[in-house]
Amino acid sequence: MSNRETYDSAFTETFMIEAKDLPGLKYQGVAAWDSVGHMALMAALEEAFGIEMDIDDIIEFSGYEAGQAILSKYNVAIEPAA
Amino acid sequence: MSETQAHPGFDINGIIRHQRNRYPVLLIDRVTAVDPGKSAQAVKCFTYNEWFFPGHFDDEPNVPGFVQIESLTQTFIMTFLCMEEYKGMKTNFVSINNVRFRRKIVPGDVLRIEAKLTSFKRGLAIGSVESFVGEEPACSGDFVVAVPDILDRYKPRS
Repeated sequence: MSNRETYDSAFTETFMIEAKDLPGLKYQGVAAWDSVGHMALMAALEEAFGIEMDIDDIIEFSGYEAGQAILSKYNVAIEPAA
Repeated sequence: MSETQAHPGFDINGIIRHQRNRYPVLLIDRVTAVDPGKSAQAVKCFTYNEWFFPGHFDDEPNVPGFVQIESLTQTFIMTFLCMEEYKGMKTNFVSINNVRFRRKIVPGDVLRIEAKLTSFKRGLAIGSVESFVGEEPACSGDFVVAVPDILDRYKPRS
């Protein structure tokens, strides 16, 4: 599974949404991405990529695209969308 | 924590100082042991004077399932609310899974509850709880509980 697929799966499985809904998705853009959902997403990404994110990065993780830039700090490169 | 320095637990006044539930939904009587950040044990003594027995049921009083779940949850949250930095914080359910009710609980029963905290990170507490009447298993389940005051520290900036 590519990093892109892993990244997308964290969102779709945590928030029970479809991949087509991911581009442009922001915090609170769907009901499931609330403060609890945010922690669940962070935990899913940390487990999937074997990283531990800093508090500042968790706070800055405000959307689907923003998250990709943040993960690059942890040497997790999300491939460009097909 | 070593056995020689075991936490003595909490009486009802100690419970009230550490968690926000109050009558009629304060549903543990004593925390008999606590290992902060790891585990807690509590008891709940059910008498016929409980507010729910007349309605559940007048001809066959027994403890409703939601009351049992709440007793287990209140024991579970004491695993971290016993710590000074979290003392008195409010909590919310996130999920409850694998719940089993193995025994009817009736007036006169003493429910002994054992909670284990397997993870407590960024305001999300994950763990499991079992309960017993005497040596007989009663209600059990896996719990995820949120602490909103902590979650708020990690909310994305809009």
